[in-house]
Amino acid sequence: MKGDRKYIILFLLPTAFLMSVFLYYPFFKSLYLSFFRTKGFFDKKFVGWENYERLFTDRLLGEATLHTLEIMVYVILFQVGIALVLAVMLDHITRLQSFFRTVFFFPVVISGTAISLLFVLFYNYNFGLLNTIITSLGFEKVLWLSESNALKAVAIPTVWHYVGFYLVLFLTAMSKIPTDYYEAAKLEGISGLQKTVKLTLPLILSDIKVVITLAITGTMKVFEFVWVISRGQNGTEVLGTYMYKKAIVDQNFGYGSTVAIYMVVFGVLLALLANRLLKSEEFTY
Amino acid sequence: MKKASLIVLSVLFVFSMFLAACGDKNEVKNNTPNASGNQGSKEEAVKEEPPKKDISLRVFSTFGGTDAARDAFQAALDEFTASNPNVKIDNDTLSANDDGFRTKVNTDINSGNEPDLLFYFVGADAQGFIDAGKVVPLDDLLNEDANWKNGFSPSALENVRQKDGHIYAAPLTGFYEGLFVNKKLFADNNLDLPTDWDKLKKAVETFAAKGIIPLSAPFDQSHYIVEHFILTAAGPAGQAKGLADGIDPNWEKGYAAIKELYDLGAFPKDAATIDLGMASNYYGEGKAAMILEGSWAFGGFSGAEVKENTTVIPFPVVPGGAGSGNDIIGGFGSGFYLPKSTYDNADKKDAAIALLKHLTSPAIIQKIATANGGTPAANVEITGLPQAQVDGFAMAANSASITTPVDSKISPETFSTLRAGVQQVVTGKSTPAEVLQEAKKIEDANK
Repeated sequence: MKGDRKYIILFLLPTAFLMSVFLYYPFFKSLYLSFFRTKGFFDKKFVGWENYERLFTDRLLGEATLHTLEIMVYVILFQVGIALVLAVMLDHITRLQSFFRTVFFFPVVISGTAISLLFVLFYNYNFGLLNTIITSLGFEKVLWLSESNALKAVAIPTVWHYVGFYLVLFLTAMSKIPTDYYEAAKLEGISGLQKTVKLTLPLILSDIKVVITLAITGTMKVFEFVWVISRGQNGTEVLGTYMYKKAIVDQNFGYGSTVAIYMVVFGVLLALLANRLLKSEEFTY
Repeated sequence: MKKASLIVLSVLFVFSMFLAACGDKNEVKNNTPNASGNQGSKEEAVKEEPPKKDISLRVFSTFGGTDAARDAFQAALDEFTASNPNVKIDNDTLSANDDGFRTKVNTDINSGNEPDLLFYFVGADAQGFIDAGKVVPLDDLLNEDANWKNGFSPSALENVRQKDGHIYAAPLTGFYEGLFVNKKLFADNNLDLPTDWDKLKKAVETFAAKGIIPLSAPFDQSHYIVEHFILTAAGPAGQAKGLADGIDPNWEKGYAAIKELYDLGAFPKDAATIDLGMASNYYGEGKAAMILEGSWAFGGFSGAEVKENTTVIPFPVVPGGAGSGNDIIGGFGSGFYLPKSTYDNADKKDAAIALLKHLTSPAIIQKIATANGGTPAANVEITGLPQAQVDGFAMAANSASITTPVDSKISPETFSTLRAGVQQVVTGKSTPAEVLQEAKKIEDANK
């Protein structure tokens, strides 16, 4: 056993190396760049805390943060919520369970960009699917991506895309609950909704916590849905698209890096906060 | 003992993997000539006369994907490899529509992974790697080879000259931008072509009332709106000043005019969220009567009827604007660069220069221009073009002035601010003056 440890460490090294090259090096490079004003790739000058001062006075960044938080609420309520409801229902059936599981999981493997393009064709004002349907029913065309609607319209595919992933996580968690609990519950006369609320949900609470943390950190990274469907216009700018616009479109890598650092700090804080709020005793069985 | 040596061996193995991974980039740059050098010397030993060394050149350009000149460009490369069998060409492409294109080129150059010939923009976009000495000025090469130099039209060469007075890029085809008009829709509605502001306003009102999109344009990718409204508002001289030395008061009139048209219902209802592709789609499908676009746009219009009925005219002067009404945006915005790394590589230098001269010879320029509808950088006649493209060339030839777009005169971030300002102004969230002040602030910070 003792000799094995050396080998374990040896085999962990390549991963550590790759992680440092592709994750930690870029992170520290961003930290470094966030103190510079850059113009393209060849020209940068040290500006101290100027980018950070801009960060705290940037109205657009504030809006992007609020939009990200709004999507986060939708994701936690609907993505996690729908996944949980579906998981409870699937857990109760045995026939066709794997069929439904596959059907619900399928969107996860489709790329977000492809789904977004699909929704571009749904929402398009002039020849989108939705407007074609409602005009053929005799109604007026609707501007789906208007200023008041656009963020919700973008949130729908965002939510839909990952429901299946959390569903599978919940199902796996539920399948781990020993049947004795349910048998005991049956003897006590608990069934139906009560069984779900008082037995199943408390027993998978730690998994729900993991899923909520995943959902929060996942929402920080939302990019392709917004970028493809609305290009961040009409009140849909989120942190991911704002950073991309600053760094890649504007070639202001300095401020783009500063926004990236802000996203990391903000994401970690939110995840910690969520963990604190959901703190409870761990079950073991 | 055995165990220890095993560990040492495994450590060595792992490290050699790292080294292989790290060395990859250098391999492309340095080993190719060595490898071909070895091959060459081997062949020398066999044969008595030394044959030409095998050379592989990576040509990076935008002639790929859906580009209209893709096949013509590939044919030009094939022509070269047919007469120079020792040269292998790696035709590396990326679409210029993508923001990633600039990033890819700059990262390549910055990390020592330059292509052997690079097709890229001139002007502010290229200033970074020119200042860093990554590409070679072509002036001496042009002067040494009168035949090559005289193949270009002098105005095209002047157009690609950088601020420092040197020419770094050999131009191929140029472009013009203008107001693309669907003549049939205008005739069907008894409207005159929008040659002045009042006619444009009348057309907008008429089309809007009929449910036809008057002027197809996106607000986010509003490059061509911003370029044209600022040009006709400030005139060529006022536009060329950029924002470095203060705000030209005429620029405001451009934004005010955008709002005036918006209030008349000029833009698509979903202008805020569509992209350029969708805007072009609306026009190409005949759902829109006008669009501001460039000479490259012809290929993208899907409807054959729309293509036949399109003509191109200069954008009319906005109210109170300083433009003459016949000023257009255009020029030779791109060309082939010869990276310094290729120039300093004795094996590649001659082949790369020969390829450069081949790709920018009048015969090839003619073929590319025929394919993509751009203005040729050589004095060649382009025949067999559709009427719309002939109209476009005529517009460019008869124009009072041809100016490069305003984004070549300001920093990319400033231009983004101007673009973002379009929706702010039309919805009344900001005034034109506020948008310009914000842009000026960004421009100053970028100095």
